Amino acid sequence: MPIEFKKNRAVFQDEVGVEEAEGLLEWLQKKPAAKADLSNLSHLHTANLQVLMAAKAEISKWPENAELRAWLQPALKPAV
Amino acid sequence: MNALPKNPLPKNPLLEQFLSEARDLLEGIGQKLMQLEDAPSDQNLINELFRMVHTLKGNSGLFTFPEMTRVLHAGEDLLGKVRNGELAFSRELTDHLLSAMDFVGMLSNEIEQTECIDASRAADAVRLAESLRALMPEAAITSAESSTTAPSTPIPAQSAVAAMPPLTEIPEALRMEAFRRCGDGENFHWIAYQPAPDCFFQGDDPFLRARQTPGLLWGRVLPAEPLPPLAELDTYKCSLQFHLLTAALHEELAEYFRYVPDQVEMVAIDPLWLTLSERKSESQSNFSEAATLAEKSSPAAIENAAALTRLLAAQQKILALDDHPAWLSGRLKAVASVLKNLANSVGYAEAANQIEASLGTALAAASGLPLLDWLNAHQSQFTVKLVPQAAANESRSNAEEESSTPAADDGIKYGRRADDGIKFGRRAEDNQTGPRSLKVDQAKIDRLMNLIGELIVEKNALPYLAQRAEARYGVRELSREIKGKYSVINRIADEMQDAIMQVRMMAVSIVFQRFPRLVRDTSRKLGKEVQLVLEGEQTEADKNIIEALADPLIHIVRNSLDHGLETPEVRRAQGKPETGTLTIRAAQQADRVVIEIVDDGKGIDPAVIKRKAYEKGLIDEAALERISDREAVNLIFAAGLSTAAVVSDLSGRGVGMDVVRTAVEKLNGSVIVESEVGKGTSIRISLPLSMAVTQVMVIESDGQLFGVPMDNVIETVRVPRRSIHRIKQSMTAVLRGRVVPLKALNGLLGITAQPRANMDDELSVLLVQAGGGELGLLVDGFRETLGVIQKPMAGFLSNLSVWSGSALMGDGSVLMILNIREIV
Repeated sequence: MPIEFKKNRAVFQDEVGVEEAEGLLEWLQKKPAAKADLSNLSHLHTANLQVLMAAKAEISKWPENAELRAWLQPALKPAV
Repeated sequence: MNALPKNPLPKNPLLEQFLSEARDLLEGIGQKLMQLEDAPSDQNLINELFRMVHTLKGNSGLFTFPEMTRVLHAGEDLLGKVRNGELAFSRELTDHLLSAMDFVGMLSNEIEQTECIDASRAADAVRLAESLRALMPEAAITSAESSTTAPSTPIPAQSAVAAMPPLTEIPEALRMEAFRRCGDGENFHWIAYQPAPDCFFQGDDPFLRARQTPGLLWGRVLPAEPLPPLAELDTYKCSLQFHLLTAALHEELAEYFRYVPDQVEMVAIDPLWLTLSERKSESQSNFSEAATLAEKSSPAAIENAAALTRLLAAQQKILALDDHPAWLSGRLKAVASVLKNLANSVGYAEAANQIEASLGTALAAASGLPLLDWLNAHQSQFTVKLVPQAAANESRSNAEEESSTPAADDGIKYGRRADDGIKFGRRAEDNQTGPRSLKVDQAKIDRLMNLIGELIVEKNALPYLAQRAEARYGVRELSREIKGKYSVINRIADEMQDAIMQVRMMAVSIVFQRFPRLVRDTSRKLGKEVQLVLEGEQTEADKNIIEALADPLIHIVRNSLDHGLETPEVRRAQGKPETGTLTIRAAQQADRVVIEIVDDGKGIDPAVIKRKAYEKGLIDEAALERISDREAVNLIFAAGLSTAAVVSDLSGRGVGMDVVRTAVEKLNGSVIVESEVGKGTSIRISLPLSMAVTQVMVIESDGQLFGVPMDNVIETVRVPRRSIHRIKQSMTAVLRGRVVPLKALNGLLGITAQPRANMDDELSVLLVQAGGGELGLLVDGFRETLGVIQKPMAGFLSNLSVWSGSALMGDGSVLMILNIREIV
């Protein structure tokens, strides 16, 4: 599973494809306070990124992949 | 045609076929469009047109030619509307469609030459597609198109510097890095990438595309519009956009974004912008304008003094800034280079050194003032220089106009010029290179073949002529010269024949390519596991041979699958791999093509064949005892023999292999089976490379000459009369330990004369292969072997099956070619 849904945490693994977006959206709707662990993520399909951005989900761990982190941090960090 | 590719690329046959079809379709589309103009309401025509465009679009989709597909797709949509009556056919429509098809034709030519489409075509494709879609009724524009029209101008060559992109969004450290790299001669582009809302459905991942942009220095993702609350979010609609800063070249980017050129906006970045972003409020407009003009600083671009003045003013303003940012030196260098370019463009040559000097001072002082001073002092020089140059330009163009006027009056005298003028109107033809392959009617090639045949025969008359010159008229010199000329003509004629044969050559792959499917389907039906191995598909042979080969091969393959290869269970029980192997192998051997069909199945049991053949009355009891296993196996080619107990829809009717033999023999070929029980069967078909030239052996009998195809001849021997034995009416002789029946050719042809013996009382025996056995023909003498063009007997004579044809000899006499199988 590219996304592992734990109690209050979604753990993203490797490559997360477009087909995950629907499930992610539903899950986040149910758990507005959930956090996302992106540490092992290598790529996220645009659809998922969009969901994370819209949900303003809190990111508990940023991707270890520096290039991806540079993309995601500005987009997903709550505006200060 | 001269500018063909430097290194001929190995052609992809699929691509070649596509191109040839595309050309036909384009021609058809053009015709239909014209016809439609005369009969705009003809539904059939519209349907046909739609189908053609649709086919072409579908074909183009097989390859990576998005530009072509895009235009065709738009054309297809448009025609769809016409077909459904939502849009009336109009002349304007025709114009647009024709120009779109011209574009597609141009792309095909480009593909033909380089096997790819230049990325710069993407913009043209978008424009064309848009102009086609613009013709559609408003309501019909679907979401896909709305995105096309909404945000963007297509990637134009970086001319449109509309507004400075929000470079301030880029972290300063990166911006400075970019600026530094600009100084090293790199160029940066700002890309605003707005993916189509429905792009997910096309399997697109814009984020991935953005991440992998070549030369990417910085990028960010942001919502295209404020994202809706989570509950209303449509997961399948892309509502993000991307901003990218990249160091890649414009062409490279155009290539990278070629699938989505309508979703991308590209702006070339002026290094100045990178330094300036901090102070955008104050002077952004000035700077961007300055940058625009500086970019265009070719003599032609700076045509009015006002622009120049504005530009210089902008530089002054920059220099007058009294802040001291870390990147001051870069800013100064940038200003200096703008000034230098400007000076160059107005022909103010001595400025360059002065600017350099001032720049040096300015850098040392870490202040813009030295440069500013210089600029203030010399500003007027720029304008002064500009005016005369503009005047010169103008007068030059006037002069040109004048000089061209007489040319128009005197078209003949200035013929070349007049031509230049005409070219202007030929937009569609401009770039047309003819197709590199020709479709030629086979009859035309056949005619060439006949002509070269005649030439070869005529050429053979020269040695006779030389002989006569020497023997009859005693002019030895002339005889030698004729022989010399003969050898030259001989060489040319041979080469020409070879060339014409090459035209007719086709690769066996044409026949082979249908086997994978056939084997797959058949083996499925039979519940067998078969692996097909094709070898030597590039082997070439004459078109007629290749075409005639198809059916026999299919028979053989089916037979192998049905009778030869066993089911997986049987194979396993016998310790063979479950998957059987069927190999079809083609190779050229001397002047023949040999095709082998080898399976590793159960083989053919000669005992079974013998019994079956005897039961069916194909062989008599004596033969049953006599024939070897090898010969027995070859009995499968006899008519009416089938070893399969049950007749299936695949094989077993006992016609297959007989048909194979007949077909192969008709092509002057031979077919042999070798088989080992339990190990497998191999069938070898040997065919001449070309049917055009037949090798015949010329023999003499009763003072007449006859030809016997070399394929039939085994050997020629002389047999002493006393070693010929008479058994009842027939003669036999023992040759190399075998008893060979002998027949006199004279007798067979109804000639009463007896075969003549030579001085040693030996008879000439031509040993031939006939109907599965050997036979000695008694003839009077042997002559040379000849390569002849065999002509079939025509008219009434064609009923005489004794002759397979006739040929012309070098001395002009006619040589009758015997059909050995028929006369014995």
